[in-house]
Amino acid sequence: MSYIEVKDLCFSYEEEGMVRIFDGLDLSFEKGTYNAILGRNGSGKSTLAKLLCGILQPQRGSVTVGGYSTADEDQLYKLRRSCGMIFQNPDNQIVASVVEEDVAFAPENLGIEPNEIRRRVDAALAEVGMSEYATHATHKLSGGQKQRVAIAGVLAMMPDCIIFDEATAMLDPVGRRDITAAMRRLNKEHGITVINITHYMNEAAEADRIVVLDKGEVIMDGTPREVFSHGDKLRAANLATPQITELCDMLTEAGIELPKGILHTMEAADAIENYVKGL
Amino acid sequence: MLKDITLGQFFPGNSLLHKTDARFKILILIAFLVAVIAAKSAWSFLAVVVVTAAFVALSRIPVKIVLKNLKPLIFILVFTGILNIFFYKGETLLLHWSFIKIYKEGLIYAGFMMLRLVCLVCGSFVILTYTTSPLDMTDAIEKLLSPLKALHVPVHEFAMMMTIALRFIPTLVEETDKIMCAQKARGADMESGSLLKRAKALVPILIPLFVSAFRRADELAEAMECRCYHGGEGRTRMKQMKSRFSDWAFLLLMMVFAVGVFFINGYGVRV
Repeated sequence: MSYIEVKDLCFSYEEEGMVRIFDGLDLSFEKGTYNAILGRNGSGKSTLAKLLCGILQPQRGSVTVGGYSTADEDQLYKLRRSCGMIFQNPDNQIVASVVEEDVAFAPENLGIEPNEIRRRVDAALAEVGMSEYATHATHKLSGGQKQRVAIAGVLAMMPDCIIFDEATAMLDPVGRRDITAAMRRLNKEHGITVINITHYMNEAAEADRIVVLDKGEVIMDGTPREVFSHGDKLRAANLATPQITELCDMLTEAGIELPKGILHTMEAADAIENYVKGL
Repeated sequence: MLKDITLGQFFPGNSLLHKTDARFKILILIAFLVAVIAAKSAWSFLAVVVVTAAFVALSRIPVKIVLKNLKPLIFILVFTGILNIFFYKGETLLLHWSFIKIYKEGLIYAGFMMLRLVCLVCGSFVILTYTTSPLDMTDAIEKLLSPLKALHVPVHEFAMMMTIALRFIPTLVEETDKIMCAQKARGADMESGSLLKRAKALVPILIPLFVSAFRRADELAEAMECRCYHGGEGRTRMKQMKSRFSDWAFLLLMMVFAVGVFFINGYGVRV
């Protein structure tokens, strides 16, 4: 069984005239993988995040995370302990006015013993590079720093999985780069399952697997290379490929034959170099 | 203008008062207030003034700042003074002009009242608000009130609300600033016109502010749930409050002082 299992998921928001968001969605994520979920506004990607951590309950079907079902009230805290969530707005997820107090919030809720909380808080802050800000006021930090504090706050629970729900959408490019780097490090060095819900193509290209959602259905699922080599299909779902992939596609259309699904600038440069050499 | 708002006006520092446990400071303040209110004679007032001055000195907060913060009090001071001078009925008549009668006791009483007010405000500022961070204060209130949990008083919830309020004050102040700028950019006029007109001009600021505050509250609740918040039950704290010997000694000293004031009340001029 996979770490996250979504089976036959049906969900609709009652107050919005029963608009079906999901109608029989099946999806699974393996433990220790780095995933991205892409989709335009209203494709249901944030709703999916809320269903995964049990904030919302499906009308039909089941969601299991690490063996715990979100429908089981008694196990909800175990589930949330093992699967943390980072939200879009950095301001609205910080509870305390001092950085270390905020990071300590989750372990305090879990009833962990004070010395252990101290140890976890220090380790989590060091992990996101915010140790020197431990006693600073949270409202004076930049957006990227606040998101790093939020990540530390989740790390202090020692989770197996972290879901980033458009966590970089409100950040400047520097903050966005910091958070993306943190995702990669958490996944590669600590084996934490990362699910990054985003609409930035460059960020999605960092993941090992991309799931593209549209109108509550999985329309594409594969490695970034596979997904981005179908530019036409992405555009049909109102999404774009990363700029460099688009450039290569345009070159191919113009008669310059390049491999499909190029993701990075240097990769494109190499491909063009090879093409020129082959002339 | 909104940038200047600070809650409680905490001055970080390293003085004896800063280092005293916040729980003890609250108790010390209570003892101090009892002493100030109980003081009735000239000698006990002298003692109270000396102790207040000692607290100001101990806090190492510049006297200038303390006095500056007394300014808003001037009106109340003058008002109390005048009321007491004219309406106190004593024995030694000093001045009688048509219906106005001023007694010697009235003058003394007015002086005492004003002195009492100044000591009350100075003392509580210096002992608590200036030298205790709002966070410590919230924790201390939660700890001190925790016996009330047995009576089903939601002490933890109250403390959590204070923590969150403190956390969001700067965020909401910033937001108010932004909304004001946005409304000004749309031609809103907030600085001219009658009082009523200006009050009405605040509505387009308050409505978006409330809407956004509710949205924030909603998101914050979700974020807190995701971090396993489930009320105060089974919750631990990272920072443990440890009382030191000096805290106990300080409190004991203040209690002795408070009781002492009742004794000194028997001496000197009194009203």
